[in-house]
Amino acid sequence: MKYLPLVWSGLWRKPGRTILVFLQVSVAFALFGVLQGLKTGVAHAVAAARADLLIVHSRLSSIAQPLPYGLLEQIRTVPGVKVAIPVELSFGTWQKPDQGVGVVSVSPEEGWPRAFTFTIAPEYLAAFRKSRTAMLVRDLVVQKYGWKVGDHIPLQMALAQENGSYDWAFDVVGTFTDSDVGGGRYIVIVSYPYFDEARLQKKGTVNHFNIAVTDAKLATQVAEAIDARFANSSHETKTESLREMAQSSMQAIGDFDFLIRAVVGAVLVALLFATTTMMVHSIHERTPELAVVKTLGFTDRAVFLLILAEALSVFLAGAVCGLVLATLTLPFAARFVLGLSMPGVVVAMGLALGALVAVIGAAIPAALAARLRVATALAGHRAA
Amino acid sequence: MNFTRQFLALLRMSLAGITRRPAAVLTIIIGVTCAVAVLVSMLAMGSGARRQVLAGVHEDRVVVNSHGASGIMSSIPREEADTVRSLPGIKKGNDGKPLVEFQSIVPIEARRRVTGTRIFFPLVGMTGGPLSEADPELHLTAGRAFRPGLHELIASRPCLRQFTGFAIGDKRSIGGVDWTIVGHIDQGDSQQCVVLADAEILMSTFKSNTYTQATATLRSPADYEVLRNALESNPTLHLEVRHEREAREEGIKQLNALLNFAAYFVGSIMAIGATLGAVNSLYSIVDSRRREIATLRAIGFGSASVAAAILCESIVLALPGALLGVLLARALFDRMAVSPFGFSFLLDVPPGLAVIGVLWALAMGLIGGLLPALRAARVPVTTALRAT
Repeated sequence: MKYLPLVWSGLWRKPGRTILVFLQVSVAFALFGVLQGLKTGVAHAVAAARADLLIVHSRLSSIAQPLPYGLLEQIRTVPGVKVAIPVELSFGTWQKPDQGVGVVSVSPEEGWPRAFTFTIAPEYLAAFRKSRTAMLVRDLVVQKYGWKVGDHIPLQMALAQENGSYDWAFDVVGTFTDSDVGGGRYIVIVSYPYFDEARLQKKGTVNHFNIAVTDAKLATQVAEAIDARFANSSHETKTESLREMAQSSMQAIGDFDFLIRAVVGAVLVALLFATTTMMVHSIHERTPELAVVKTLGFTDRAVFLLILAEALSVFLAGAVCGLVLATLTLPFAARFVLGLSMPGVVVAMGLALGALVAVIGAAIPAALAARLRVATALAGHRAA
Repeated sequence: MNFTRQFLALLRMSLAGITRRPAAVLTIIIGVTCAVAVLVSMLAMGSGARRQVLAGVHEDRVVVNSHGASGIMSSIPREEADTVRSLPGIKKGNDGKPLVEFQSIVPIEARRRVTGTRIFFPLVGMTGGPLSEADPELHLTAGRAFRPGLHELIASRPCLRQFTGFAIGDKRSIGGVDWTIVGHIDQGDSQQCVVLADAEILMSTFKSNTYTQATATLRSPADYEVLRNALESNPTLHLEVRHEREAREEGIKQLNALLNFAAYFVGSIMAIGATLGAVNSLYSIVDSRRREIATLRAIGFGSASVAAAILCESIVLALPGALLGVLLARALFDRMAVSPFGFSFLLDVPPGLAVIGVLWALAMGLIGGLLPALRAARVPVTTALRAT
């Protein structure tokens, strides 16, 4: 503890230089924090994706191939299935061709939200069940288009109604939030029975079924049982949990891992080099002072540790500042990439890396300072 | 002595002294190299993706989609397709039929060769046959074209390289039917796997009665307005037409925005770090030359020329970093295949990116040199000369 003032005065000997190094370290670790936050955030998002929620889609193609609505009864008899809800997906635009929304049609049976990742207030749920043309709007859509409860919203869809018109209209009865990071951002929910009745084509088909299982541990068994039931039929199915789907879509980002590592590596190399030269320069300038310190009885070891402590304090302060900055920028970056977060492990990793770079960077200058010969140094010869 | 002569003499002195200050100089160069290399290689993703998507775009070709929808969300019913064929402005082929091709696109999944990861690729059903006049840039590299009415596929070469099960003669089960791969096509540099089949057989397999989109060749680029007016004034059509370039750019807009945002975000942060490092190094250079500078001032060199020489030195030191950074990015990443978000393409480091890298480095040198240059200009002559 008694060495603290010494470290402190060493740091502020040249305030400009210390502040510059501090800023450089902050910037480097802000970048580190954002990049690692991205990576671990994605991993967390996958782990957080619900494993007890299954999606049954067509084995032919999970995106564009419809399944008949009639499979629902058979799916419901599979043991372990708690709730099974048919889902149809379509796309509409509001006023302008570039203002799109994803239209999710679900049948509003008792307890349907259990098979989804949506959070909906009970009064909105009740209102949604009452009206055939009711529409629930995701909070992000409310922010983007400013719709509110009671609005009558006309939508242009790529799908004709029975009367041949492509113009649809729904009444906003409530809002909801979605915890699924892989889902669409701008989505609305409408009633499947109405939607299916009103459309001209593809009647009686759905895109997929959402299923909540009674016990998450049974998810794999239930999925296999469902697929087995429809094997070799004209509508083979493929059942996956939301977590499995998140995993495979996140694997697609895999190539970024390499990039993140390369960037973090480049940052640390540049930083390491900068600190070493700075510290060497600093020791060079402070030769007479260090000689005095040693004359006063400080051992080589103590001088070595003193220099190391200086570097460590600047680096740790810089790393903390950088990680705080990164945390502050995350909400902004989250607009582009979903699932960003700053878990504790990234903070710990950042601090450890900061300490490591400080120790490696300061080792040479600290050794130079420790090996200083008092007599020659006092005589005015500087450390090499 | 005038300003220019003083400045040049000082600059020559500064540069001659570089070898005596290797550590500070290397710090600047390495910092700038890292910042430029990272910026350029990240920008190479956006430019590579764009280059691939826009390769083979024809100014006289247009894409027709259903209103407000693009990609696989679009759908064109058969009745409307017949009307589209008869619209004005469309070029006639050698056989006298209009050069309009309807495509039915179905996403199919495949497994990666190495990792087994699931990736979606488009299976495109074509009405005009695979090697028609409408698609002059497609040509077979092996095997033969698919025959209409048969469950046959031809695959682009990246499919073969990236996924399993695309060799000629391989069978794939799609829609409960076995399809045979009968040929391979070349699509230039494109890394995206595309599989082609006959539209009618594909649509009957998937029990679909709508095409996804249409591509038409115009008589001349000027006929675009003619076609658009005819399309929009026809009340039975719910379609919209766009230039092929526009349609493709829109498809990649989001990915490009994301990639470029990431590149400039990371690049800026690294540049700030490198600039701070440069400021620090230049301060130390100026400090170690205090007596020298004071002496020069004493014998009549102006403070403006001293400042200008330091600023110029900073910029000169940033340049090798810029070149090294660009070369590094080019050597490591040019033409490297990547597939972020399941979209495969080659990274591309065109000369334009090298220019951006160099400008970036010049900005770092300029900003980094400002404060140290001012300090050098303000060295108090008398105290500096007396200092040890």
